[in-house]
Amino acid sequence: MKPGFKKLLPLLILLVVALALPFAMLSNQYYLILLTTVILYATLASAWNIIGGMAGQFDLAAGAYLGLGAFTSGTLLIRWNITPWIGMIAGGLIAAAFAFLVGYPLFRFKVREVWYALSSAALVMVLRVVFMMWEQVGGPTERYIPFYDWSFYHLRFRSYIPYYYLILIILIITLWLNHRIRNRKLGYYLLALGDNEEAAEILGVDARGSKLKALMIYAFIVGVLGGVYACLYGFIHPNFFSSTISLEVSILGVVGGVGITYGPLLAALILVSGRELLRANVGGQLESLYLVIYAIVLIVIALFRPQGIGSLLQKAWEKLTTRAAEE
Amino acid sequence: METVVQNMINGIMMGCIYGLIALGLSIIFGVMNIVNFAHGDFVMLSMYCTFWVSSLMSVDTVATIAFTLPLLFIFGILTYYLIIHKTLRQKYITQIAVTVGLMTLLRALAQLIWKARPRALPDSIVRGTIVLGQYTIMLSRLSSALVSITAILLVSLFMAKTWPGRAIRATSDDLDAASLMGVNYKWTFALAFGLGSALTAIAGAMLMTFQQVDPTMGLRFGLLSFCILALAGLGSTVGLLISGIIVGIAESLAMGLWDPRARSLVIYVIFVLVLWLRPRGLFGRK
Repeated sequence: MKPGFKKLLPLLILLVVALALPFAMLSNQYYLILLTTVILYATLASAWNIIGGMAGQFDLAAGAYLGLGAFTSGTLLIRWNITPWIGMIAGGLIAAAFAFLVGYPLFRFKVREVWYALSSAALVMVLRVVFMMWEQVGGPTERYIPFYDWSFYHLRFRSYIPYYYLILIILIITLWLNHRIRNRKLGYYLLALGDNEEAAEILGVDARGSKLKALMIYAFIVGVLGGVYACLYGFIHPNFFSSTISLEVSILGVVGGVGITYGPLLAALILVSGRELLRANVGGQLESLYLVIYAIVLIVIALFRPQGIGSLLQKAWEKLTTRAAEE
Repeated sequence: METVVQNMINGIMMGCIYGLIALGLSIIFGVMNIVNFAHGDFVMLSMYCTFWVSSLMSVDTVATIAFTLPLLFIFGILTYYLIIHKTLRQKYITQIAVTVGLMTLLRALAQLIWKARPRALPDSIVRGTIVLGQYTIMLSRLSSALVSITAILLVSLFMAKTWPGRAIRATSDDLDAASLMGVNYKWTFALAFGLGSALTAIAGAMLMTFQQVDPTMGLRFGLLSFCILALAGLGSTVGLLISGIIVGIAESLAMGLWDPRARSLVIYVIFVLVLWLRPRGLFGRK
């Protein structure tokens, strides 16, 4: 066998497992929900990795782009009966355009580090207020997406399995994008910027353009997910602009390891399934206990293993592939 | 016209408290160049501590400062030694991650302990209103503003006249030079963090005399104080007070004349405009 194939083998196994998992869990709806939630967060965190991990901009606006995507796709479907398949893309484009509008001046005026993080956190709060006040589209009551038992056109299914596969495809594309960007000029630029922005700029890295590209790619992916999110939950509401989701996504990104392609995936697998299991076993009484655990994990990881748990995976991966290459 | 003036009066009074909150943030930021993302949640925590002390021991809201001030001071020092201290030489993304973690932790703990519903206290000793012509001034707000201004003045005096205060200022100016002059930077950092967090205790107690508290309000206060800090720039205490009042007025006018929900919109607009146009703030020296 060629070494190239052996290198890809673990990935293939993972893919097969991911594809087969829903069938192993057909009998139990709960595990399907869990699985779907896990890969939803894994995708969000992997997209965050592009702006937060590689470019080193601590973005806290995931909720903003998710909400924009959900509202675009949801409104198109509710008002004009336009299929979410178009709505998703439209949502992604609107999120990316919005990211451009916000990001261009921010990066132009060199807003970065904590100030960038703050303005992105504020963005979520502001959009929530705007959509609360914008009665034609949002408003304080939920807007329900028409219910269908099994409609491909409306992206409404009674089972979680189609959603799972749909999000899995987006996840794979996101990981592929991560991988591709990392090994291209943009990725090297971003990593250099994340490391030391001044130094990178002196060496001729186009800081503004690179960061803007990273931000828009991230916003696009999260916006597309927003469309799926709306159909998955069956309604849209301004609370989708959630600072908690934004926090969780960034936590997963950091815990997974900034800039490590599969780190956020690993972090989501561990933390989100932990969260859901906790929620199921402890119940609504201690609803926010999971956030306490998240926060402690984040602090401990950031203090004692700033490269994240993904670095463990990377090490194991290198060992595995070098052994495969030696054989 | 009356509404405008009335809202401006309210805004000025709120602005003084905001200035006090931002002062705590600016001490921490100025000294160790670490941005405490959780600062707003310290305010939220102080408000809950006030609620807790007041309802458990049935003391008056204003009197709780005697308990919450030392409590928050110790909390700040502990936070510094347990968490912040370890991040001093790290990359800034680690520092942000750690304080974001702290913010999430405080918010989630508040939700866990006090549940999500808002809490309020019964009227304190400062209650009632003064009527001046067609304008009414709530005494609780007025006394909060006065207490805040007093606290700001005391902190300025502390910074100018006492040895620890000077140590803090020296460390903000030049860490290495201060160290060479015999300032123990670890101790100064811890003191600054404790002081910054103790100031939120005063603000928290005074806010509780006329406001309710819920676990998610921390982020709003955090944003507010960062907005004021960005507007004022580093190093000017009077600037912080003025910026606090500007933000307070803007917020109050937006709430009174447009829509009560629009307050965070206005703050965001000011914040972003300041970041774009005057990154060093209106009164900054650095």
